[in-house]
Amino acid sequence: MTELETLERATPTERPSRSRLVRRGVLFAVMVGVALVMLYPFWVMTVNSLKSQNQFLAGRGFSWSSWRTLTSTIPIVQEVISSTIICAVSITLILAVGLPAGFAFAKLRFRASTAIFLAIVSAMMVPLQAILMPEFVNITRLGLTGGYTGAVLVYAALGTPFSVFLFATYFRGVPDELIEAGIVDGLGYFGALWRLVVPIAIPAIATVTVLQFIQIWDDLLVGLLFIQNTSERPITVGLAVLAAGRTTSIPALMAGSLVSALPAMAVYLIFQRYLVKGLTMGIDR
Amino acid sequence: MAEITFSEITKVFDGNVTAVDRLDLHVAEGEFMVLVGPSGCGKTTALRMLAGLEEISSGTLSIGGRVVNNVLPKDRDVAMVFQNYALYPHMSVAQNMGFALKVRKEPKVEIERKVAEAAGILRLSEYLDRRPKALSGGQRQRVAMGRAIVRSPQAFLMDEPLSNLDAQLRVEMRLEIARIQRLLGVATVYVTHDQIEAMTMGDRVAVMRGGQLQQVAPPQQLYDFPANEFVAGFMGSPPMNLLRARAVIFENRPAVTLGSQRVVVPDRYTASHDLVRPDGDELVLGIRPEDIEIVEGDGGLSLETRVERCEALGSEILVHLSLAGASETVSSLAYDADVAVSRLPVLVARVGPQSRVTVGDTLRVRLNDERLHFFDARSGVSLRRETP
Repeated sequence: MTELETLERATPTERPSRSRLVRRGVLFAVMVGVALVMLYPFWVMTVNSLKSQNQFLAGRGFSWSSWRTLTSTIPIVQEVISSTIICAVSITLILAVGLPAGFAFAKLRFRASTAIFLAIVSAMMVPLQAILMPEFVNITRLGLTGGYTGAVLVYAALGTPFSVFLFATYFRGVPDELIEAGIVDGLGYFGALWRLVVPIAIPAIATVTVLQFIQIWDDLLVGLLFIQNTSERPITVGLAVLAAGRTTSIPALMAGSLVSALPAMAVYLIFQRYLVKGLTMGIDR
Repeated sequence: MAEITFSEITKVFDGNVTAVDRLDLHVAEGEFMVLVGPSGCGKTTALRMLAGLEEISSGTLSIGGRVVNNVLPKDRDVAMVFQNYALYPHMSVAQNMGFALKVRKEPKVEIERKVAEAAGILRLSEYLDRRPKALSGGQRQRVAMGRAIVRSPQAFLMDEPLSNLDAQLRVEMRLEIARIQRLLGVATVYVTHDQIEAMTMGDRVAVMRGGQLQQVAPPQQLYDFPANEFVAGFMGSPPMNLLRARAVIFENRPAVTLGSQRVVVPDRYTASHDLVRPDGDELVLGIRPEDIEIVEGDGGLSLETRVERCEALGSEILVHLSLAGASETVSSLAYDADVAVSRLPVLVARVGPQSRVTVGDTLRVRLNDERLHFFDARSGVSLRRETP
């Protein structure tokens, strides 16, 4: 009888489904709008990089000349490699410190752990600009302002508090019994960390990697200040040099920006399915 | 395979909370020992100390004759089944089961053979490639068992392994775990708060309360001869009726009064129990619901009661009876969340489904004179001189 009733009520379905359709339509339109806003600069970048300076001013035409200008003006390949090295080493350091530290804060009981955790997390609030000068003095005294090392250390120091926080939050959601089961099964704490916790933490690792990659790859300030060897400077510094020239070629700049934007997008696309999981901090049980 | 001995084991947590207080317990080789008690009674802490997950504050713990107080969990050779199973989510069933062996670097062929064998025992053979997420609760529980079995450890430790299962599956797994334990003959310590699990599974049952061991005995002995009020009230569902009464001498024989009613204690108890008390001294009379019978007329150990409530369970009726002529001085005891609380004097009787009782009826009930229990009102200890 209840089944019949629901059927009858459901048969003149037009009304509820129409309102749902409208809602979906509106949502779709909004999403399309947002996507357009996001993609428009990218489209402008792509189209204008395929014009010469004159074609750009005229607003039409097609040419590879700006790409030739780009590669002849700055060592773009070398700069991409530099950026990649800086990102890879910094992120490795951030993960190597953040993951075990997060595990310790989430799962081990030790004196003053809360206070230390709060101190580390509060370091997240300090903006780069505020500590840039003291950092510069420190790194200069250490004699590390020439190549990658100084910049890598600064990036690692800036990224670690966030990663400690993210890992600690993530590991709090991992049941203690899982680690205890590993310990009874014959693992030590480091064994449990490496063989049980790390595989479970992949979404958190992906989240830290993507967010830090985008931040470090896109950063100009640190690279500009701390990497003084021209042969080791990252792509953002290269683009800044390109833009600061007396006659700035906008199409060449667009081409350079495109090259610089692609890796960040690729990293995001590769890790994005983990990213949502990592940010929502869930763990399937 | 080994025996386990807790000797004066104490656990004091930060802030001076004594979770386990001088626990003495011996688990024989191949024995199935159930630790039972209300939550917070220290049973899980005792188990975790045995596993090495919790430090021992004082006392000596040995497994197979070896003192393990300072031995790391991995070197104790015990396997544990957790309440939420704690399966490794990123591994398949087979990998989960073989993990401990892999950690010990056993040869791959050997691991596969042992996993296949355990999977056979547990009827998991067709699920070996699945991830825990793709299994039902009962299957996950069996994988957790499998993980313990493949190691052929010296002892199994189980921490409420059935409490996350639904009622029907719990009954099945209860039998299954008992079957596997008998098959493997490994000493097992099983923690539960469910007294039915304790009664049905254990070779012996240890009842704990407030960190202290109350009694260790085979299930039936625990039921028939509880060492104190708490054990009497905890084991059995519905629990034993515990009535505060006063000792009197009636016609030169010990008797107890419940308000205005008097029960003369049968002679057999005077030999086995310490019932010679000052006149008017308080004691507790215990009687199981199934030992109360509705009778016509006077005779034997009978009490005048009034029906307050009936719970028909299909196979039986639980009749709640109040004592006629009971004053404030008579009360019954109930163990509610580990605290003894006095209630109005109510007796619960278990009667056949055909019995015609209605609320408000005045009934005469007879207490089975072979199955009375007496406890000291202050200490709660049984007045029986020795346990048979």
